[in-house]
Amino acid sequence: MDSKGSAELLNSETNHSKHASSDSLASDSKSSSLNSKLGQESVSSGKGSPSKSYCSSSSTSTENVVSTLESKIKGKTNLSESVPPSRPDDPPLLPGEKVQGVAREVTYLCPYSGPARGVLSVTNYKLHFRSMDRDTPYVVDVPLGVVSRIEKVGGASSRGENSYGIEVFCKDMRNLRFAHKQENHSRRNVFEKLQQYAFPLSHKLPLFAFEYSETLPENGWTVHEPIAELKRMGVPNDMWKISKINENYEICDSYPTVLAVPAQATDDDLRAVAAFRSRGRIPVLSWIHPESQATISRCSQPLVGVSGKRSREDERYIQLIMDANAQSHKMFIMDARPSANAIANKAKGGGYESEDAYQNAELVFLDIHNIHVMRESLRKLKELCFPSIEESRWLSGVESTYWLKHIKCILAGAVRIVDKVENHKTSVLVHCSDGWDRTAQLTALAMLMLDPYYRTIKGFEVLIEKEWLGFGHKFQHRIGHGDDHHSDADRSPVFLQFIDCVYQITTQFPNAFEFNDHFLITILDHLYSCRFGTFLFNSDRERASEGVKQKTVSLWSFINSDLDVYRNPLYWSPAAYQQVLVPIASVRHITLWKGHYCRWNPSMRPQDPVYQRTMELLVLKEQLEKLTEECKREQQSRAARNMATPPRLASPIRN
Amino acid sequence: MNERKMSNSFKSYVGFEDHDSQSLNTSGDDSFTELNPRLLPGEVVIAEAQNVLLFAPVSEQKQGKSGSLSVTNFKLAFVTTEERPKEESGQQNLLLGEYEVCLSNVDVVYQLVGDKKRRLTPGNNVTGKVRGLHILCKNMKVLSFSFKFSPVGHGKNLTNALLHHAFPRRHQLLFAYDYREPYYNCQREVCSFRGLADWERELLRTGCQGWRLSAVNQSFQLSTSLPQWLIVPQEVLDWQLGDAARHFRGSRPPIWCWGSSHGAALVRMADIHPTITDRVKENVMLENVRKSHPQRRQPVLLDLSKDFPSPRDVQISYTKFRELCAPESLRLFWIQDNNFFSLLEGSRWLQIVSVCLRKSIEAAEAIQRDETVVLQEGDGRDMCCIVASLVQVLLDPYWRSLRGFQTLIQKEWVVLGHPFCTRLAHVFSTESEQSPEFLVFLDCMWQLLQQFPAAFEFTETYLTTLWDSAHVSVFETFLFDCERDRTLATADPNNRLVLRSIWDWGEQFPEQDIALFTNPLYEACSHSQPKELLPHGGLSSLSLWRQCYFRWLPLLEIPGGGLAQIDLHHRQLSAEVAALQRGESAPEQTLTQVGSFFPFSHGITRPGALLASSLTLNTSFLPGEAFLDSQSLLNAPD
Repeated sequence: MDSKGSAELLNSETNHSKHASSDSLASDSKSSSLNSKLGQESVSSGKGSPSKSYCSSSSTSTENVVSTLESKIKGKTNLSESVPPSRPDDPPLLPGEKVQGVAREVTYLCPYSGPARGVLSVTNYKLHFRSMDRDTPYVVDVPLGVVSRIEKVGGASSRGENSYGIEVFCKDMRNLRFAHKQENHSRRNVFEKLQQYAFPLSHKLPLFAFEYSETLPENGWTVHEPIAELKRMGVPNDMWKISKINENYEICDSYPTVLAVPAQATDDDLRAVAAFRSRGRIPVLSWIHPESQATISRCSQPLVGVSGKRSREDERYIQLIMDANAQSHKMFIMDARPSANAIANKAKGGGYESEDAYQNAELVFLDIHNIHVMRESLRKLKELCFPSIEESRWLSGVESTYWLKHIKCILAGAVRIVDKVENHKTSVLVHCSDGWDRTAQLTALAMLMLDPYYRTIKGFEVLIEKEWLGFGHKFQHRIGHGDDHHSDADRSPVFLQFIDCVYQITTQFPNAFEFNDHFLITILDHLYSCRFGTFLFNSDRERASEGVKQKTVSLWSFINSDLDVYRNPLYWSPAAYQQVLVPIASVRHITLWKGHYCRWNPSMRPQDPVYQRTMELLVLKEQLEKLTEECKREQQSRAARNMATPPRLASPIRN
Repeated sequence: MNERKMSNSFKSYVGFEDHDSQSLNTSGDDSFTELNPRLLPGEVVIAEAQNVLLFAPVSEQKQGKSGSLSVTNFKLAFVTTEERPKEESGQQNLLLGEYEVCLSNVDVVYQLVGDKKRRLTPGNNVTGKVRGLHILCKNMKVLSFSFKFSPVGHGKNLTNALLHHAFPRRHQLLFAYDYREPYYNCQREVCSFRGLADWERELLRTGCQGWRLSAVNQSFQLSTSLPQWLIVPQEVLDWQLGDAARHFRGSRPPIWCWGSSHGAALVRMADIHPTITDRVKENVMLENVRKSHPQRRQPVLLDLSKDFPSPRDVQISYTKFRELCAPESLRLFWIQDNNFFSLLEGSRWLQIVSVCLRKSIEAAEAIQRDETVVLQEGDGRDMCCIVASLVQVLLDPYWRSLRGFQTLIQKEWVVLGHPFCTRLAHVFSTESEQSPEFLVFLDCMWQLLQQFPAAFEFTETYLTTLWDSAHVSVFETFLFDCERDRTLATADPNNRLVLRSIWDWGEQFPEQDIALFTNPLYEACSHSQPKELLPHGGLSSLSLWRQCYFRWLPLLEIPGGGLAQIDLHHRQLSAEVAALQRGESAPEQTLTQVGSFFPFSHGITRPGALLASSLTLNTSFLPGEAFLDSQSLLNAPD
């Protein structure tokens, strides 16, 4: 690939992903010079891919490549994309994206580098601000899916500079303030457009994912084939079968169509169990140990109620799960909740398994708090991290949010599951109340620790498809895609917490994961962005009826079309590395993910991320290997030539 | 969690306290003779106790090893019959074994009385029976012994010997004076800055104008804590200097320590003597400093006594911080874990590191603007050392090589008179002025290593080892308060003191351990090294140096994880690159796994052991029940 091609590649997707996540600091000379330097280096080496991966991995997605690549981006857009910008000021647009409104002479009040005057555009996908008063343009680019609330600041009587404008509150740990000139009367239009396109569902407009029309080389919708994934784990086998009973979502409308259940359970059994489990979420297989056959299953709480109801079918069914594992005559039921919460749920008809009714099963409460506690914790964390950090109280401030304590608690719970399954060869059943929040965190993390497959890029995508999307984590309600009910009590950062836990494990085991931070942050960016269909709606059933697979692009199509960017240069293949990871769930090892929570603050960015140096070494090694290879070939062909036409004069040196 | 791991090497004595009568099975009297510690030339055993139990760290005194414990004139040595597995990957110290600590490293001795522990006073004799000892070392290592099965009197004798010999009242009682191993100085690389030539070369190297060498302190008549050769403003005459010096604490007038080629210099000086009210002499000297700048620019004066912690503050902070790194029980460990961050904040340790970094950045920025910076502080021998060294590391890549860094310590700390003997408490005094300021500096350096992982030739393992070595009383480098004391000690005909340099690492470690001191990225990424480093010094940008502080807690070691794995990965990659550059084919990748505290893992995780089978996760990695129970018990958020 020639150097021109590499520049092209560099722009095509990376800049979009940057846009999605960068409060770009064009004036950040350090990062841009770094990028250009690395860019040059790879150009001179004549290799395309390294430069691409450099720039993106340099990122934790935050710094701005836009400035250095500005001209090239334009070239690219004009050249190949279907939507050429209609006016010179227009932002770069995605296929299907249209400018809805433009306001000039708007001031962006950057909390770090001060006010910048420029042009603010609103499209059906993003808010785009571009400064006009600086030498290197300053760009802010925020997908509107990220917005949780928009407010007008100041009224007709507002005095003072920059006191009249709009404040945008985001789901990704930042707020943006724009000041308008009152006399321009630009605020009303911008405000309305923002409201419409940030909250399309509240305005009877489609989510952007249904308008986005890019064609990508990979098809992410085929990443997870439920039956193939079960086969990978050796199911069906003597003890477990694949059931199609939920093909039409009759047993449970928040479960997938394909379920793995004990081989001996009849359809009638399953129906009876469903009647005794909250929302019909029966115990089903999540993971099976390749050697011991110990399993991780998941479900919702039993409908015990205050009267302590029992279900013979449910008891027998749990016994079947236990019997499916010949190695142990015991089983653990991990209830993710604090015991007080589990008891309180009895009043609402729920509850937990009594050990009298479930012989040989031991019940353990994992003390993880509910979605409301987690939402409050994140709110405090945002207060702490944005916009500025109070250094003197930083440590106790972090502690007072309880965020890391919750992370520790979730990790400790997952470690316990791993311990039971791996060391005691005992099967574990996990549930909370409905089994779609804390349960998903625990099963997915335990599987990530137990099975190296899930630590690859594709494997992690499968894990999310299976444990989160398939088993009905209510993304729509938890994130609130496209609706304006910002204080909805259903919203909660449960999935973010899971990704944070994954991040913690990656820091403890830097060689164990095929993907890097940038991969995790990209997933979180598009958790909110509404550009892809992946995280839309609450369940497989809803996604099927809305035709998500047919009408939208999968996030995995986007990621898998550009894998190099997401690779961890420190990754060791599982053959050489330990299979089971047991992270240490102590606050002494758990750290705040500054690369994510503090990423808008330029002073919190790493100066010289170590993995960039690893990349340099890898590239150097590749070049040298290629060189050696060429030398060898050269020598061989020379030797061959010499054989064919022996020198007329015998050279004493040659021999 | 890793309690289970310990069972590989530690026998379980669960509940042995309950079975008083049941004596421990030892292999008979003949084994006693084999349980003697290995002695160095000149080393003698002072007291010995047989049938001693060494408890595993944070084991609630439930697991231990049995052996004999000795106090010599050099070390506290535990020798065990229980063989360790052969495959050793940990750092091998040629002078000290795994269960041995130098007496200079012993900080606090507690007597175990029932469930409580009582702090013992150095020098005082214990009269009653001693059932157990709990020893806290200056490098945070913890040793707990039980004399429960020892013959009568052994515990008491050993304790008294320890209280006496670990806290000597005179410098001449340190082991360096007794050590009889012949020494041939093998290191020529590090400049000592004792002679004229080193200073001359430094002045030349930096290209700093306006300064000259002075012999005014030739026989320490000007200041006892300054070296014999000083670099002073060109304009000052020696007699003026001598006259002015008396006005400064410790007679330390402004002394040049580094300069940029543009002309700005870095200068250290003490405060004006507290009894002197007028600052005339100070102003005169500062005027001379100003004139030494090629543009005659007014120097920037940084008062390091103002916002900085005093040596006492640093010691208090360190003591609190050590409680978090060396909790005495598992229970306490998890209780601390519950509000670890506020406890850490309460210790102020990271705040101290942060203020040193921030002030150094401030000074470096001034020098970048071509302004001379004068660091002023009490005696000019504590914070001045930290800040002066950091400023130079930030501005001058010369100090970022291993050799350069050692030369820098030699210059700013050893020769310019950081009172190591007092601060590291090599000699006991009731009015202790002990303070680990050198550790603060090493921590600052570690933070820089994190922020610029390719900029330094040395590794965190090197920094940790350096801190450990500061407590080994064989080496002269960190043994004295000043040059004068060193000169006097070597001149004394009654003591045959050999000056053994710490920088001669071969004296302490085999080659393969010294190899771990060098950073594989430094060489490989040398093409893209920045000249000046501007780190973040804010508290939120700092992290905890886990290798140095947590390595004694096996339950915090991540098998196959942590920074050690990243380092290992880079070592392998750069070895491959180097081989390719030599025109050889890349060596076969043999990936090994180490624990996150490597090479300070204590026989817990060995490379290769984890590769044994595909699912090696047998009991050895997973938490024992006790661990999990306590974990979940304390997990519950309030």
